[in-house]
Amino acid sequence: MSTLLEVRELRKYFKTPHGWLHAVDNVSFQLEQGKTLGIVGESGCGKSTLGRTILHLVEPTGGKIIFEGEDISQISKRRFKELRKEMQIIFQDPFSSLNPRMTVEDIIREPLEIYRIHKTEDALRGRVKELMDTVGLAQRLARSYPHELDGGRRQRIGIARALALNPKFIVCDEPVSALDVSIQAQILNLMQDLQEQLKLTYIFITHDLSVVHHIADNICVMYLGQLVERAGARELFVQNLHPYTKALLSAIPVASPHQKSERMILKGEITSPINPKKACRFAQRCPHAKEACFAREPELREVLPNHFVACHYAHELNNLSE
Amino acid sequence: MAKITTPAMERLRQAEKKRGAEKPGRSSAAREVLHRMTYNKLAMAGLAIFLLLVLCALFPQVIAPEGYDDQNYARAFTAPCLQFPLGTDSFGRDILSRVIWGARTSLCIGVLSVSFSVLVGGLIGAVAAYYGGKLDNVLMRLMDVLMAVPGFLLCIAITAAFGSGFIVIVWAIAVGSVPSYARIVRAAVLTIKDSEFVEAARSIGASDVRITMKHLLPNCLSPIIVQATMGVAGAILSAAGLSFMGLGVQPPTPEWGYMLNAGKQYIRDAWWIVTFPGITIMAAIFSLNLLGDGLRDALDPKLKK
Amino acid sequence: MDKTTDMVPAAPLLRVSDLRIHFEMEREVVEAVNGMSFELLKGETLGFVGETGAGKTTTALGIMRLVQTPPGRVVAGSIALNGEELLEKSEAEMRKIRGNKISMIFQDPMTSLNPVLTVGEQIQEVIRLHNDISDAEAVKRTVDMLEMVGIPGERYNEYPHQFSGGMKQRVVIAIALACSPELLIADEPTTALDVTIQAQVLDMMRELKEKIGTSVLMITHDLGVIAETCDKVAIVYAGQIVESGTVWQIFDNPQHPYTRGLFDSLPSLDKEVRRLKPIEGLVPNPADLPPYCSFYERCGRRAEACRAGEPETVEVEPGHRVMCRCARGE
Repeated sequence: MSTLLEVRELRKYFKTPHGWLHAVDNVSFQLEQGKTLGIVGESGCGKSTLGRTILHLVEPTGGKIIFEGEDISQISKRRFKELRKEMQIIFQDPFSSLNPRMTVEDIIREPLEIYRIHKTEDALRGRVKELMDTVGLAQRLARSYPHELDGGRRQRIGIARALALNPKFIVCDEPVSALDVSIQAQILNLMQDLQEQLKLTYIFITHDLSVVHHIADNICVMYLGQLVERAGARELFVQNLHPYTKALLSAIPVASPHQKSERMILKGEITSPINPKKACRFAQRCPHAKEACFAREPELREVLPNHFVACHYAHELNNLSE
Repeated sequence: MAKITTPAMERLRQAEKKRGAEKPGRSSAAREVLHRMTYNKLAMAGLAIFLLLVLCALFPQVIAPEGYDDQNYARAFTAPCLQFPLGTDSFGRDILSRVIWGARTSLCIGVLSVSFSVLVGGLIGAVAAYYGGKLDNVLMRLMDVLMAVPGFLLCIAITAAFGSGFIVIVWAIAVGSVPSYARIVRAAVLTIKDSEFVEAARSIGASDVRITMKHLLPNCLSPIIVQATMGVAGAILSAAGLSFMGLGVQPPTPEWGYMLNAGKQYIRDAWWIVTFPGITIMAAIFSLNLLGDGLRDALDPKLKK
Repeated sequence: MDKTTDMVPAAPLLRVSDLRIHFEMEREVVEAVNGMSFELLKGETLGFVGETGAGKTTTALGIMRLVQTPPGRVVAGSIALNGEELLEKSEAEMRKIRGNKISMIFQDPMTSLNPVLTVGEQIQEVIRLHNDISDAEAVKRTVDMLEMVGIPGERYNEYPHQFSGGMKQRVVIAIALACSPELLIADEPTTALDVTIQAQVLDMMRELKEKIGTSVLMITHDLGVIAETCDKVAIVYAGQIVESGTVWQIFDNPQHPYTRGLFDSLPSLDKEVRRLKPIEGLVPNPADLPPYCSFYERCGRRAEACRAGEPETVEVEPGHRVMCRCARGE
């Protein structure tokens, strides 16, 4: 498998009246072709910003984004317009991500019009039909407006629009969190089918751990702009090493009355990373925090094969040998 | 891209097909709005009165029994009767005919001045919102200055300076309402600028011009339409006010406000000379306001029933 | 509905029978709630699960008598709290009950607090409305309430915007519990919160419930939340309860095809499944419900007999009722 995307020490800071907000701070990972990388975290942890920075919807402050061997973090607008064909995004909210004044057909054909992919009107229409078929939208809906459709169908429109240009890589920003469970399952299945058939590579951003467990091959856990743990999906759920990951996992209500497990309930709430100190950002809420956690920033280290953790005490807490 | 079929998708397609018969494809957005309007009886009444006025403005020569300046002193001050349903004025002119001819003047002033201020104000607002920063600040402060002057005083000042006449009145009224359109468009563009579908358009490589024309403007049309409808009413009222004070359209051009002015000295003996133009002004403004209210409801996608 | 087999002879705190709430629009009638019947015993937590538009919130608002009229209208049914019929109460009598005997927590903590009043004032308002007590007493009880939900009493004079999402929801809960209500209706109380905060809030609600002895009607779409907090569950679909029973009965032995579908479409953390099994199709349009089983179109076990009329509710085991033809073992 070849590496499709590599992100190296990516940073995105926003200026706020109170100082610099480190929305994404030193994030590094690699993503292989045809795989799905899940990015999990709570609201405000910078996961959406990360996805948008990779796609240049917001400009990165620093770091490198390497797509198919080419550094795309500092390239010209024109070259990037070419690259947009390869990298697309599916948005969270199927209500606000579709222009309410455009019909389903108009929305799906817009990217094709922008890139003038089809020479004739017939070819263009054919392609729109094909895309609607692919995502399971009936042809009779072509003239409907988004507000006439339910959330599941709207999300299908968003997916069709993202697929229009034959991308290799799609950032899925919470694509199912606004949907009901039964519809959510339909969309997840569709996305898996598309991945298999079109060899798509996904970054799947979500706060829902059971969804990411289902769909991802590798998972990054984010906290206040940084990766705290990165591992294979199965590995992460079996042997999680970072205290935040543990807390996050134990906080999910399990849909079974048999498992009223004793919870690890975190104190306090997520703050925003404005001018963060050189310390572990989770230390404030961590039940195991020691002096070193407030003094030094932990680095993301490979603690087990292909399992990275940013915690000073990853070995001690998990009874691992150095 | 190869056509994809998996069992799950096939089932979905089947399900979609099955549902196909339920609902026919919808028509255009404009028709949808009209359709929704028909449920609002007040708005429909407003629309009816307004259309009647538009007809009067378009074909006064057909509708009006006489010309607007057919003087005949022999029949001056005739009270409303069968021949002159609204009576005649001091020159013996048929008031009904003058009211009908007057629709042309009043509506022209209303529509022209509002079009001018929507265009100019809309442009200023859109530019201010889209580019933001300093330009936004400068433009909007300018608008604030203009807004600080009471609209009607501004009209009086302009007509006093440039003389009265149709064109001067149009733009005296227009200038005063530019800031309100600028503000509306700016607010609308600002809220839409950050929405996800604009970001989605950027993610598929759409240019600034395309985003503005296809995504931003169509989505801020509805507040503008509503405001413009009510703006026409305001402009008609201002024009009538100016004419009433003798600063507006000059006689013998029929204009409702001027008719009020001319009739006010006879109000004790010939009440009809002032009453009917007054009622017409009221009806015009009332109908436009009803229409504006109805449009506001019909254009709001959230009120979808 | 067959009630004679009920094991508990004690009168329930809340008994809703055959509740029907319709929204009468200009062009159509939306049948939001269609014959709901359920009981809630003292100290018990009943979970209402269902998808968007299933009629969960409308039922809750109906119990509070807060359905906006027009267009909403309670067409039929009865809602009895401690044997007293709520639908016959006057508006003034209802005001005395709301916030005092029944209170409600809404989904969005950001919008259910008044931004121009301090949190202390907002909690105090409810207390003083329903109790005739002195200023000092009211303040003391407000501070007690704040501390009970884990907020330091010194924050009494702060405004909602100074609180984070989870803290605001705590304040909302404090307001709801300020008069020790007999019934607390929680409408998706943690949906807007992050998982770790949700865990905090649910944990706190469980503790408070035990302390005060309130009955809770928990509305949610999250089966996990139900499993962790509820004693009984009602599965709501198209304005009807299609299955109800204890948490154990529903989770271990789901009978209705819709309930089973819900469980199947949920990605699980313990099981490795390559593909999920979604429920096909969409929720029926509540303005155009079929005269037969409303789940028919999406059901994997449908048969011609299902179209004969509304399915009966069958009690498959004590307390476990299913509204499906298949449940009778046919």
